[in-house]
Amino acid sequence: MRFFSYERLSLTSIIILTAGAAWIAVTAAFAAPTTDGEIRAPQSGFSAPDFTLLTSDDESITLSELRGKAVLVNLWASWCGPCRAEMPAMQRIYEEYENDGFVVLAVNATNQDNVTNALAFVQEHQLTFPILLDVTGEVSQMYQLRALPSSFFIRPDGVIEEVVIGGPMAEALLRVRVEQLLEETN
Amino acid sequence: MLPILQVGPLAIQTPGLILLAGVWIGLSLAERNSQRYKIMPDTLYNLVFTMLVAGILGARLAYAARFPNAFIENPLSLISINPGLLDPFGGFLIAVVAGLIYGQRKNMLLWPTLDAVTPVIGIMLIAIPLSNLASGHAFGSPTTLPWGIRLWGAQRHPVQVYEMLAAGAVLWLMWPTRQPKEQPSGWTFLQFIVLSTALRLFFETFRGDSEVLANGIRFAQLSAWVILAIGLFTMNRISRQIKD
Repeated sequence: MRFFSYERLSLTSIIILTAGAAWIAVTAAFAAPTTDGEIRAPQSGFSAPDFTLLTSDDESITLSELRGKAVLVNLWASWCGPCRAEMPAMQRIYEEYENDGFVVLAVNATNQDNVTNALAFVQEHQLTFPILLDVTGEVSQMYQLRALPSSFFIRPDGVIEEVVIGGPMAEALLRVRVEQLLEETN
Repeated sequence: MLPILQVGPLAIQTPGLILLAGVWIGLSLAERNSQRYKIMPDTLYNLVFTMLVAGILGARLAYAARFPNAFIENPLSLISINPGLLDPFGGFLIAVVAGLIYGQRKNMLLWPTLDAVTPVIGIMLIAIPLSNLASGHAFGSPTTLPWGIRLWGAQRHPVQVYEMLAAGAVLWLMWPTRQPKEQPSGWTFLQFIVLSTALRLFFETFRGDSEVLANGIRFAQLSAWVILAIGLFTMNRISRQIKD
């Protein structure tokens, strides 16, 4: 199908480009961010849904109290191979950037895991970041968990920068994302 | 939204699966019509496959070049399956260069080749919004319209569906068998690009995650306008050559 005829192409082009430019200008007024900070949702550009959970050491941690820090929320289970595979890299990155304001919240999907196995894994790999126990599955639901592991990189202002579903995450990916988040902190 | 397809113990990433299916369907359809443009199906297949492989490898290398320190510390990350470690723009450029080298070695003519690969691009322009619909990415802005979909805490424009329907319509119009035989080489591809970018420019307005530049101008709209201008300029040049 010849959609554009050769004869009046110059005129058609001018009309199309003018209309396009006008459309860009007219609709620009509606271009204000529609997501940043206004709605809580487990998606990049939205505020991270807030939660409070107990750690394996019975310490209470609330996500919103970590504002000003770069946070990685990682949902995991001890039976999940990719979760186990990415944990050592997370530990190394945590050790390297902890003092710069980087926090890892490893939320164990306890409602579908065995606490004893989970804690044995933590012990075995000497993980030092907080291990939060999602006993009721509330956080899994809040973060619309569909696959393990699921990771949420959260900016210091509480907005999710990136969501990574599945794993294991490469150490380079962790390093780049954490450095980018920390740049916003400073 | 269906980001994960659970098949027994396997959790398959639906968006990736849709994109792979898109490449396969697009390539199969393009192969069927390639002889219309005097290109052997095998040659077309090899061209697209070369560009695909070069694009993926190039995207990873381009990403590593941007963040060398991360990869020096962990060289194994170079072969990681994480799509987050890809630089799409770098990958695209390297794919184009690989395509040009392959095309030159096989003495492929530029315009007939671009006409022949139009169905692949067309199918991908349907597959990408479908993949975004599955993952919940590239979502629409809030709306009160009755066909809005509930996503990320609001009723939103189903912009992925708009884009899919628009891409389907353009592909239907530009389908190889619908093109007149006396048409100059490259005309199908150029019309396809012009229509696709014009629709992209229009539908970007309904996106809720646009990258916004100064004065509220959307980056995607501006890029679409530039490509639109280049497409129309090239069409004008070709039409002038025909008239002369």
